[in-house]
Amino acid sequence: MASALTPVVDEKVWGAEVPTISSLERELARLRRIAGAHAKEQGHTVARAAVLNLVVYADRDGHARRAATSTSRLSDRHPSRLIVVYGDRVREGVDVAIQLHCHVPRPDDGSHIYYEQVLARVRGDADDRIASVVIPLLVPDLPVFLWWTGTPPEDARLFDDLIALADRLIVDSADFARPDRTLGIMANLARTNHDRRFGITDLNWTRLTPWRELVAAFFDVDAWRPCLDTIVGVRVGFGVDADGRDIHPSQALLLVGWLASRLGWRTIDSLAPSEAGGLLFRMARADGAPITVRIRPRFERGIEPGDTSGFRLQAKHGDDLYEFVLKRAPDPRHVTATVLVNGATRSLRIVPLPAPGIDELLREELSIVGSDRVFEDALQALVALA
Amino acid sequence: MSTAAPPAANPLREGLRLARVPQPATIVLFGGSGDLARRKLLPALYNLALQRLLPASFAVVGAARRASSDDEFRKELHDAVAEFSRTKPINEEVWGAFAQNIRFVATPDDAGYESLRAMLDRVDAEVGTNGNRLFYLATPPQAYIPIVRAIGAHRLRGPGWSRVVVEKPFGHDLPSAMELTSVVHEVFREDEVFRIDHYLGKETVQNILVLRFANGIFEPIWNRQYVDHVQITVAESLGVEERADYYEHAGAMRDIVQNHVLQLMALVGMEPPAAFDDRSVRDEKVKVLRALRPIAEREVAARTVRGQYAAGFIEGKAVPGYHDEPGVSPDSKTETFVALRCFIDNWRWEGIPFFIRTGKRLPKRTTEIAIRFRVAPHRIFNKESSEGLDANELVLRIQPDEGISLTFGAKVPVQGFRIRTVNMDFVYGASFMLDAPDAYETLILDALRGDATLFTRRDEVEQQWAFVDPILAAWAKDVPALSPYPAGSWGPAEADTLIERDGRTWRRP
Repeated sequence: MASALTPVVDEKVWGAEVPTISSLERELARLRRIAGAHAKEQGHTVARAAVLNLVVYADRDGHARRAATSTSRLSDRHPSRLIVVYGDRVREGVDVAIQLHCHVPRPDDGSHIYYEQVLARVRGDADDRIASVVIPLLVPDLPVFLWWTGTPPEDARLFDDLIALADRLIVDSADFARPDRTLGIMANLARTNHDRRFGITDLNWTRLTPWRELVAAFFDVDAWRPCLDTIVGVRVGFGVDADGRDIHPSQALLLVGWLASRLGWRTIDSLAPSEAGGLLFRMARADGAPITVRIRPRFERGIEPGDTSGFRLQAKHGDDLYEFVLKRAPDPRHVTATVLVNGATRSLRIVPLPAPGIDELLREELSIVGSDRVFEDALQALVALA
Repeated sequence: MSTAAPPAANPLREGLRLARVPQPATIVLFGGSGDLARRKLLPALYNLALQRLLPASFAVVGAARRASSDDEFRKELHDAVAEFSRTKPINEEVWGAFAQNIRFVATPDDAGYESLRAMLDRVDAEVGTNGNRLFYLATPPQAYIPIVRAIGAHRLRGPGWSRVVVEKPFGHDLPSAMELTSVVHEVFREDEVFRIDHYLGKETVQNILVLRFANGIFEPIWNRQYVDHVQITVAESLGVEERADYYEHAGAMRDIVQNHVLQLMALVGMEPPAAFDDRSVRDEKVKVLRALRPIAEREVAARTVRGQYAAGFIEGKAVPGYHDEPGVSPDSKTETFVALRCFIDNWRWEGIPFFIRTGKRLPKRTTEIAIRFRVAPHRIFNKESSEGLDANELVLRIQPDEGISLTFGAKVPVQGFRIRTVNMDFVYGASFMLDAPDAYETLILDALRGDATLFTRRDEVEQQWAFVDPILAAWAKDVPALSPYPAGSWGPAEADTLIERDGRTWRRP
């Protein structure tokens, strides 16, 4: 029975258990002193720096650990206090208990900055009291980022409590179980967040940034910009694994949502599955003419499931067919951007395409505190499709 | 950065993440394969391409007097980028696509400029650069005037925007700077002229503005009520290296003080601008430069020190004196060290001395601005207990180890009362450990975007020369005498005397 009440926590990762929050702060101060003394012996000093609070909610051990490793890699640019709240998925029949652990990990990259890591291991249905643990742990006056590692729930006390503390919510729609539905939940969240009290971000949106940049760059050229008004078709490919089981079209959908919201497209059809797990639907241009949108899963080596694999936009201009194509070529780490007019290449360039890890994506997001209206607009455009 | 001219609307450009990519353009590099182009400009352009910060349609057209083919030129630039880029190895895929739009035109004569014009028109049509042209003068300064005249005479300006980037030195005194400006103005409006001072492209120099004007606590004490004096140090441990040719004519005053040091002084001394845009920021900088109390010829002996390094040691290695450097005349009177005592005559700074020192072969490379505050008005702790207590000092370190530190007194934790100065240190590298972009990347991107905030305006340059010229005139008459100092020291003894006369001492940076 005892083991059900006191879960096993890997103290190598999370540090020793402490009984109370005030003893936790004392323990952190002691650990900082030790780290400082240790560094001095080796002839350098360490700095305690904190630019933000990062609160992570996880209900899987893997997610909690991933948060810990990502943060340690982030400590160079965003030294922070990491507070991981790790709860259980199954709560029935488990007594409520909250166990605190803290740790001052030594950065393995040899930099002389340390950060602080706190774990609140929660058993049972403790949703109503978690905020009371998190609030005193926050470093005062620094922004609070909430990283929700799963699919954000609707009408959940814990989520509402934590979001009330946050300046920014971070999710990753690549992990969403049913993106067509969950993106709608996100859109609702953005819509009800009237006073823009917190910003919402999706790491999948961050992954799209280079793609959006490349698409936008086509139309910086005066000669091609008019094509934006005469688009007839859009195709977006996204990666799947070899057996094609896990289908995660959120990123591709966001790309379409972005185009639709920026260019004033309206919905005609709702999302309809097409062959091989793809999606095929029509939207209407601002002038009412239809646009065929095709979202297709593609298996290609070197492309993560869910990541965008290619993009093609077709526009009719007079009798000419303009095509704006982004392809992962010559290899998955590069994109070749081509403009074709009636099939003949008019412009070609190759740019590197970063494949950022989750910590690099976070790094990018943590440097933005406000809300991203363009992202919220893209979400809204998708809601009508669902 | 400030908002540049709003681009003709591309609806996809909205939002905060995609804003920094400039409009399609051609960059025309005069002095296309010179040292600056090879070491700085092409590596900067290539790194911008790597970061996807260049526009979709972008061309580089090199122009120089000698003949070369497109392919030879590309090869040359490829090798330069491979050698000097801050990211290595060179990404051949990206370079290959980037190099497709590199062209070369020989411009030894009028016919050359005519073919340059034809080339630019062709590039506009083929690459889609919308007739936007950035002319970059990366040649020796004596070529600036003929090139600018040729740009005008051969109607090289395109149907889109045209801008010109002029490298330092901008003139060698006030009349020559004014002449250069007036020639440039025959072809370009002032808002199309981008005079580079690469110091302004440095992140930490821009951070001076952020520290002062994004924070509420510093500005109220940033004045004569609270500040005792200011010290600006720009120290290099290097000697003249292979630049003797240029340096013999320039000296530390023209090389460092006229541009970099006066820029730092303007940023520290300026009033808060109403907005962070090119006009407001530069208006305020010019006001400070105008308020700079001139050092008249008769005061030069009392308010300036000029030095020249003799043989000595740097980091344990014996180094030769300036006279023994290759390319330096044995009886050269060129100064390698300058110290000045300056005043800004306005309400904020009346009576507060700004001490400046810069030199080559000083013990270490460091650039910093130190603001020394007044001591507490009334001393309540006895003398013995506050022996180790200094006045508060705020130090802005520009390079290396960019950061800010503030010293203040604290009680030593023992029984009884002892007070000591402690240091509160902020290191940029510790809060944002990120490779700061190269200054040239920042500046080229800004010029392509039409944002002139970090460039020097005509009136700024003229004020700078107006301040420096009388000092140089006195020095030309050997007043005061050139003071030698051993390499590896903090300059001649006269520099210490200069500051000690005021009852102050130089910091040890």
